[in-house]
Amino acid sequence: MLKLLAHRVALSIPLVLLVSVVVFALESLVPGDPARTILGENATPEGIAALHQQMGLDQPWLERYWHWLSGLFHGDLGASLFTGDAVTSELNARLGVTVSLVLCCVLVSAVAGTALGMFSAIRGGPAARVVDVLSLTGLALPNFWVAIVLVALFAVKIRLFPATGYVPLAESPGHWLRSLVLPVIALSLFGVTAVAKQARDATLEVQDTDYIRVLRGNGVAESRIVLKHMLRNAAIPVVTVLGVVAVSMLSGTVFVEGVFVLPGLGSLATQATTDHDLPVILGIGVYFTVVVIILNLLVDLAYGMLNPKVRAS
Amino acid sequence: MRRPSRSGRRSPMMVGAISAVAITLLGAAACSSSSGGSSGGASSSKLTLQFTGPPISLNPALGGNGLSAVFTALAYDSLIHLSGDGKLVPDLATSWNYVGQDNKVFEMTLRQGVKFSDGSPLTADAVVASMNYFRKAGGGLVGDAGPVDSISAVGPDKVRVTYKSPNPDAAMTMTQYHGIGTIIGPKGLANPQSLLTASDGTGQYVYNGKTSVTNSRYTYDKNPGYFNPSAQMFGGVTIRVIGDAQAVLSAAQTGQVQFAGGAASTAEAAKQAKLNVLSAPFFNWTLILADSAGKTSKPLGDARVRQAIAYALDRKGLANALGGQYAAPSTQVLLPGTDGYLPQAGYDYDLAKAKSLMAEAGYANGFSMTVLTESLLDRNTTYSQAIVHALGDIGIKATLHVESTGIGQFSGDALSKKYPAIIFPSAGTDMFQAHNQISNGLFNPFGNKDRQLESTLAKAFASDGADRTRLYQQASQRYHDLAWYVPVFSTQNLLYVGPKLTNVKTSVLNPNPMPVAPTADLAWKSK
Repeated sequence: MLKLLAHRVALSIPLVLLVSVVVFALESLVPGDPARTILGENATPEGIAALHQQMGLDQPWLERYWHWLSGLFHGDLGASLFTGDAVTSELNARLGVTVSLVLCCVLVSAVAGTALGMFSAIRGGPAARVVDVLSLTGLALPNFWVAIVLVALFAVKIRLFPATGYVPLAESPGHWLRSLVLPVIALSLFGVTAVAKQARDATLEVQDTDYIRVLRGNGVAESRIVLKHMLRNAAIPVVTVLGVVAVSMLSGTVFVEGVFVLPGLGSLATQATTDHDLPVILGIGVYFTVVVIILNLLVDLAYGMLNPKVRAS
Repeated sequence: MRRPSRSGRRSPMMVGAISAVAITLLGAAACSSSSGGSSGGASSSKLTLQFTGPPISLNPALGGNGLSAVFTALAYDSLIHLSGDGKLVPDLATSWNYVGQDNKVFEMTLRQGVKFSDGSPLTADAVVASMNYFRKAGGGLVGDAGPVDSISAVGPDKVRVTYKSPNPDAAMTMTQYHGIGTIIGPKGLANPQSLLTASDGTGQYVYNGKTSVTNSRYTYDKNPGYFNPSAQMFGGVTIRVIGDAQAVLSAAQTGQVQFAGGAASTAEAAKQAKLNVLSAPFFNWTLILADSAGKTSKPLGDARVRQAIAYALDRKGLANALGGQYAAPSTQVLLPGTDGYLPQAGYDYDLAKAKSLMAEAGYANGFSMTVLTESLLDRNTTYSQAIVHALGDIGIKATLHVESTGIGQFSGDALSKKYPAIIFPSAGTDMFQAHNQISNGLFNPFGNKDRQLESTLAKAFASDGADRTRLYQQASQRYHDLAWYVPVFSTQNLLYVGPKLTNVKTSVLNPNPMPVAPTADLAWKSK
């Protein structure tokens, strides 16, 4: 297990470097220029040239990249071209929002998805069909539409949840949870349905195995069979799907944070891209990469816990 | 694969799990509604506003204009205040006047007993230092200040601004929207970087960098040292950054913000939600026929062709189709209600006349040209597409080149002199402002100049009252004849005001009102 961890961590270093090079290269392809954005419509060529020099934008990109990279090794991601704030402090202030959002979504996807999937597999009949149809509908509905409908219903019509905004956990746990309910529902719809489908198929498979039949034959309580034996075995493919879903949710935060006005990394990514704020874009690239690596690591660890064969290898 | 039997096996566990999820979600709502009270958010004494993006800078010398001036106007007083209904009101300057006859020397008398939030007193020297700092700080509003030659203190409470050429709008440039009149304290000037985390003005509120979240929430606390406490209507002010039009509407509808910038797409819903929807004409959408010398497009060098284009646009139809009740046809470089607007002038829709002018100029079969536009103000380029499409009626095959990465980039394209025509809105509340805008920068990349226009305006800028209005109107007529600028329609600036907020006013002379004012009768109030 330790070997696996070490392997993952070692692999993450070239991955971060690769991502930063790709982000750097892609950003340089986007037309536009931060100096022009800052100076606006009254910009003069002299003003732009002066600002270029001040921001170091007149240097060749390899040199700029190297400069950024050497900062990275000291934990310094540079400063935002617009606000002048250190990128790390700007991103750390927003990390909590995105992490809260993604973790809640993973949790909801895992619990609700597994519950629905297993219900459909075990219960069968018309009730199961209803669950299946609902799952498919969830997969088909675009989450931006769902988000808007949720706000219209549960924030504007029935004033149950706030329409926009975020309250930090430390400030008020109740308000924190309340500010996340609608965004989490909108963002985890896809996750719930993907997990439900996987859990249903896996449960059907497990249900049909000899050892479940033997357990039943020996009169083991149904609840014990479901919770201890079926759930555990069905959980392995669910965890795989959950890993993929969690990563896709990261990109989903870009949109959901915009609609619900949550000050997270996703909304910052949009703002920084339109502004050509390269240090911030690169910082977000690094943060997202690290989060994806950690998520994958957690998936691997979960495998190990669920399946002794993985641990042995 | 064998299908498992599904004969009525029940699992109380599953029901339990589903209920658990449901309970968690409902619990969240329940526990918070008991602790959070109404979803209104702000208490009655605090004001929460929406703005569409982060401030360009919290340093007033580098900040923006329009509604974005709110980020600095809350914490910094300007020398002169422009009220919502467009009147110039004493603020840090209690009186002002031109010295001499030709609008070149402008003098202001300062208010006594005013203190900056850093504790130092407001003096003529402090004001001169702030204004001079603005001139060299390199912000985007430097051009708004007019042709300033020098600024000096001519007494302990008197400041004199000397202009290189006549500036009839000196008082207007000293208001909260144009940068130079927004006064920064000596400590802030000594360390401009500090202004990004703490304000140093004489304003009603003080920016609090500690409770603000960059790009999301900007908070301002009440300034205990403000010179007129009776005009301070709120315990504090928060500006929330919300860009998405639908999210803005939801936040305003549920009382999360009491004031927001609206959009035509959500205005009807806002009205139905009992929000007070205020509007004032703001943008004058214009087809700029920049290449009037015919360098890149020979036909545009002929005034008859430019006039034909002006006659070919069905402004009423376009305004109605594109902006509904929030747009109106525009036929002049100035909008109705502004100084210099010429009633009963301007181009009507006359396709026959347009066609005959084209034939007269030798272009009966039309020609092709590229028109530069952008998609930040003209969302999805619907306006530009409609305008360009209408040119087809007189045989002009116009192709749009769309810049979507930013106004700065668009401005760079315009100045490259590659595009004979450009679509962009102008804004100005009199001929001085409108002329300053459209005779420079992206509105005039080829440097068009007309002797008759220049001499009329030079006379106008040095005069005042009815004389000036008459000369401004002559300039309007000259702009009309030249047809360098073909105005199409004006769009309104929309503002959503919550039911608890009163005394918010807007007008064609000030479409971007501010919550604070130096006297109680002009400030916004909470019911």
